[in-house]
Amino acid sequence: MRRVGLPVALIVVLVVLSYTLPTSRLLVLENVLALALFAVATNLLLGYGGLVSFGQASFYGLGAYVVAASWAHYKTPFWVAFILAPVAGAVLALVVGALALRTRRLYFALLTLAFSQLFFTVAEKWYGFTQGDNGIFGTMIPSKLAEPQAGFLFVLAVTVIAMLILWKVTESPFGLTLRAIRENRERAEALGVNVYWHQLLAFIISGAFCALAGVLFVVHDQAAYPQLLDWTKSGDPVLVSVIGGMYTFLGPAVGALVYQYGHDLIIEYTTHWQLVLGIVLLAIVLFVPDGLAGLFSLAGWRRAGARVRSILRRQAEVG
Amino acid sequence: MRLPRKYQGGKAVRNTRFRWLALTLAVGLALAAMSCKGSSKSTATPQATGTQPAAATGTQPAAFTGTVKVGISTTLSGAIAQLGKNGLQGVTLAVDDLNAKGGLLGKKIEVVSADDQAKPDVGSTNVRNMILNDKVVAVFGPVSSAVAAAEEGIAAQNKIPIFFHTSNDTVLMTKQFTKYGFQVVPNTTMEPRAIAAYACQQPYTKWATIGPDYSYGHDTVDTFIKDLKACKPGVEVVNAQWPKLGSSDFTPYISAIQSAKPDALFLAIYGGDLVTFSKQAAGYNLAKQMKMFGAYSISALQPLGADAPAGGVTWFRAPIYLPDGTPGVDNAKIKTFIDQYHAKFGQWPGIFSILAYSAVQTWADGVKKANSFDGDKIAAALPGVTVSTVRGDIKIRACDHQAEIPEYVGTLSDQVNSTYGFRTPTNVFIGQPDKIMLTCAESEALRGK
Amino acid sequence: MDLGNVAIQLLSGMTVAGYLFMVSAGMTLVFGAMRVINIAHGSFYMYAAFIVAAIVGKGTGASGMFWVALLVAPLIVAAMGTATEVTIMRRIYTKEHLTQLLATFALFYIFADVALQIWGGAFRSVQAAPVLTGQVNVLGRSFPKYNFFVMGVAVVVGVAMWLLLQRTKLGWRIRAAVEDPELLAATGTNVRLLFTTVFTIGALLAGVAGAVVAPLVSVAPGLDAGILVEAFIVAVIGGLGSIAGAAIGAIILGLFQAIGILWVPTWASAFTYIAMILVLAVRPWGLLGTPER
Repeated sequence: MRRVGLPVALIVVLVVLSYTLPTSRLLVLENVLALALFAVATNLLLGYGGLVSFGQASFYGLGAYVVAASWAHYKTPFWVAFILAPVAGAVLALVVGALALRTRRLYFALLTLAFSQLFFTVAEKWYGFTQGDNGIFGTMIPSKLAEPQAGFLFVLAVTVIAMLILWKVTESPFGLTLRAIRENRERAEALGVNVYWHQLLAFIISGAFCALAGVLFVVHDQAAYPQLLDWTKSGDPVLVSVIGGMYTFLGPAVGALVYQYGHDLIIEYTTHWQLVLGIVLLAIVLFVPDGLAGLFSLAGWRRAGARVRSILRRQAEVG
Repeated sequence: MRLPRKYQGGKAVRNTRFRWLALTLAVGLALAAMSCKGSSKSTATPQATGTQPAAATGTQPAAFTGTVKVGISTTLSGAIAQLGKNGLQGVTLAVDDLNAKGGLLGKKIEVVSADDQAKPDVGSTNVRNMILNDKVVAVFGPVSSAVAAAEEGIAAQNKIPIFFHTSNDTVLMTKQFTKYGFQVVPNTTMEPRAIAAYACQQPYTKWATIGPDYSYGHDTVDTFIKDLKACKPGVEVVNAQWPKLGSSDFTPYISAIQSAKPDALFLAIYGGDLVTFSKQAAGYNLAKQMKMFGAYSISALQPLGADAPAGGVTWFRAPIYLPDGTPGVDNAKIKTFIDQYHAKFGQWPGIFSILAYSAVQTWADGVKKANSFDGDKIAAALPGVTVSTVRGDIKIRACDHQAEIPEYVGTLSDQVNSTYGFRTPTNVFIGQPDKIMLTCAESEALRGK
Repeated sequence: MDLGNVAIQLLSGMTVAGYLFMVSAGMTLVFGAMRVINIAHGSFYMYAAFIVAAIVGKGTGASGMFWVALLVAPLIVAAMGTATEVTIMRRIYTKEHLTQLLATFALFYIFADVALQIWGGAFRSVQAAPVLTGQVNVLGRSFPKYNFFVMGVAVVVGVAMWLLLQRTKLGWRIRAAVEDPELLAATGTNVRLLFTTVFTIGALLAGVAGAVVAPLVSVAPGLDAGILVEAFIVAVIGGLGSIAGAAIGAIILGLFQAIGILWVPTWASAFTYIAMILVLAVRPWGLLGTPER
C-alpha cells in the first residue's frame, strides 16, 4: 500500500498541473513524459540488464513512423497505429537483438549504434515511404488529442500504465534474473540460466516500449522525421538515465525531467545554452555521479556534499 | 538466487517513501516556479549576439503606446550558424528601422530569438514557447526546411503568421501549405529553373552534378537537369555525386568528377561545404577544366576571396551586390542597406540578411493593411498584394503565398571587389517569376487541393 | 576507366585516410590506456584548425606564418589537453563508462560554445604555404601537391608513434597500461602522470590533424562533430586501442569511400555504416584489436 500511495500522489500532482500550467509549459512537460518513458524503457537494458544500447532511437523512430507513415499512405486510424507501433518495435528489436546480443559490452554498444545509423540512413533515403528528410507532418492524431490538455492527459495515462508494466517486469523473477546476469554472467550461466534468451527478451520488451514512447512523441509533435532515429537521439535516453540514476527505476524519468525541461528553459533564455548545459552536466558527473535520484535520499545528499568537499580539499592541496 | 543486497530492493523499499515524497514535492515546486516564470519573463531578451533593438539605445520617439514581439528561431550553433546569424541580424536591423520610424500601429517592436540547433523538434518547441509565453505576433523562419515544416504547423495551430526567408523548400507552400505561411525567397523549383534557363543558352552539353545528400540537394539537381534537358535535348549527365551534408573531404568526389571530363559542373552544395569543395577543387585545378555553376553566396565568397572561380556561374536569391543598371534593381536603396548593416554588425550582409529584412517589411506591410497584428487579419490582407521592400516591390501570390520574385544568375567578376573583399556577380541574367514559378494550378495540385 | 583515373581516385582516398588516421590514433590511444571514449576529441581537432586560421588569416601572404601556425596550433591544443586531463578527466577514471561518456559530452558542448564565442560562426579559409600549393602530374592527370603533404605528415606521425610505443620507456609504459594498469602501478610507475601524458599526446595528434587539414576545409563550427563520427568508426573498425588498427581502418574507410563513389555514388554515404556492421559482426573487437577481458 505504501508503495502505491506516493506514485499516486505524483500522478495527482501532474493531473492538477494539467489544469494550472500555462499551455507551453504543459507541452514541454508532455515532451518530458515521452522522453521519460523512452528512458525508463532503455534503462531496462542499461541499469537492469547491464546492456548499453546506443541504438534505441531505432525503435523510438519506428514507433513515430508507424503512426505518421501509415496515416500518410493508408489513412490508418491512429488507434490502429497505436497498437501496431509497439508490435513493430518488438519485431525490429527481435531482429536487431538477435544479432547484436551475440556480442558483448562495448561491442554490443557499437553494433546497436551502427544498426541505428543504418536505419537512420534508410529513413532519410526512402523518399517514397518516409518523405525523406522533409519528414511527415499533418493531422495524424485524433483532433481531441491535439488539444493540449487532453493530449497531455492521454500521454500521462499511457506513460503511467507503461511504466507500471515495466515496473512489474523489473520486479518479476525475470527482472531479478536479468540483474543477476548483469552482476555475474558466468555464475548465472552456471546456474542454468539461458543468458541469451533473457537478454533478448529484455531487448524486445525495451524495443516495444521505446516504440510506444515514439508514438507519444507523435502525439506531442504530430510529426515524424529522420532525426528521430539519429545517434544523438539514441544518446538521449542513455544520457538522462545517467543523469537521473541508472540503478533506480524512476531515476531515468527524473533525468528526463531535469534534462529536457532544463534544456528548453536554457535555450529560451540564452544563446550560450551549450556552455550552460555543458557546465551543469559536468557538475552532475563530478558531484552526483550516481545520478540525481540518489539525492532524494538523505544519504545521497550527504555523499554528494562529501564529494564536493573532498574535491575542494584536493584542489586546495594542489593550489 | 541471491543478489547483492543493494540490488534486492530491500533498502530501496524503506527509502521509497521519502524519496517519493521528496520527488513529488520537488516536481510540484519546480513546475510551480516555472509557471510563474513563464508569465514574468523579462521583456529584455538580448539573446541575439549583441543585437539589442536600437530603440533600447534611447533614440525612440516617445510616441509608443506599447510593445509587440516578433520571434525568430533559427540555427545559431554548429556548422550553419553563420547562415542563421545572417537572417537574425537582417530581422533585427529591419525591426530597428521600423522602430526608428515610430514602430507599427504606434507599438514598438521587439525581437525574441532562440537557437534551433537545426533540429525540427527544438525548432517547434522554440516557436511554441515564443507564441505562448512571449506572445509573439509573427514568426520569421529558420535555415533548414525540415525545421521550417515543423514550425509552420505550430504557427498555423496558433494562428500566427510565419515568414520564410532562408529555408525555401517548395513543399512549404504546397504540400504543407497553411494560410499563415508566406515564402519571400525563391523556392527549390524557381531557383534551379532560373539556372537551367541560363545554362540552356550556354554551349555546355556534358554535365556533372554534385549536391548534398538530402532533399534540398536532390530537388535542386533533379529540377535543374530536368529543365535543362527539356530546353536542350542533347544534354547528358556524365557524373552525379551525393556527398553527405557537412563533408570535410570532397577529394574523392572531385577526382571522380574530373575523370568524367564534363563540360560543366553543377554544384548544389552551399555554405561551408562549398568553401571546402572550392578549396579542394582548386588543388585539382578543376575550374580550368570545366565551367563551374555554384551557389556562391556571400558567406562562401567572403572566405574564398580570390579562390572563388572568376567567370564561374553563381545565383543569388536577392538582388544584392549586383552591378548598377540591373533591370528592376534599385541599387541606391540596397547600397544604403549594405552600409547600414555593415555599420551595425561589422560585417557585410549576406543574401539571407536582405531576404530576412524584406520578410519583416512584408509582415509590416500586412500589419498596416490589416490595421491589426491579428494573424487571421494579416493572413487575409497579404495574399495578392504587392509589398514594397528593400529588394524591390514583391507580389505575394494569392494561391500559395509564394512571393513572385526573380532569381539572379551571373558570372563572378574577374576582380575581387576592393570594398567588400570578394568577387561579385556580373553579366546578370534574370529568371523572371512568370518563367520560373509553378503555375497556381500546379502548386494546388501538389497541395492535393 | 583508365589507369590515371584509378590512381587519382586511390590517392584521393589515401589523403582522407591520412588525416582520419591522425585523429583516430589519438582517440584510440586514449581509449586503450584509460578506457575512455572521448567525445570531445573532435573539439581538439577543430581548435587546431581555428588557431591556424587565426594565425595565418591575418598575415598578408607571409608564407612563414603557415609554418609557424602548423607548429604552434598542435602545441596549444596539446596544452589544452593537459589542462582538461588535470582538471576534469582524472576525476572520472574510476567512474562508470557511461558517466565518463557524459563528462566528455559535456566538455564537447563547452568547447563548442567557447569556440563560437572566440571565432564566431563565419566560414574561414586558410592559405597554405606557396610551396605546397599547385599540382603534380600523376599519369597525365593533375593532383594537388598539398594532398601529398597530408599523406606525408600522416606517415611521419605514424612512424613517430611506432617508435614512441616500441622503442621508448614511455611507450613501454603506455603499452603496459593498455595491457594491465594495476600491474603497472605495482611496478612503481606514476600512473597518474602517465595518463596525463597519454591524454596530451592524444590531443596533440588531433591537433596535428586539425592544423594540417585547415587549408583543405572551410574552418567553421561543426568541424568537431563532423570528424568525431568518422574517426570513431575508423577506430572501431581497426580495433579500439590499436594504433596500427587505426591506420588500417583509416585506409579501408578512405579507399572504400573513394571506390564506392566511382561505382555507386548514391549509396556511398551508407557504406561506412555497412562496413562497420560487417566488421563488428565478424570480429567485434575490430581488425587488430584484442577482445576485451
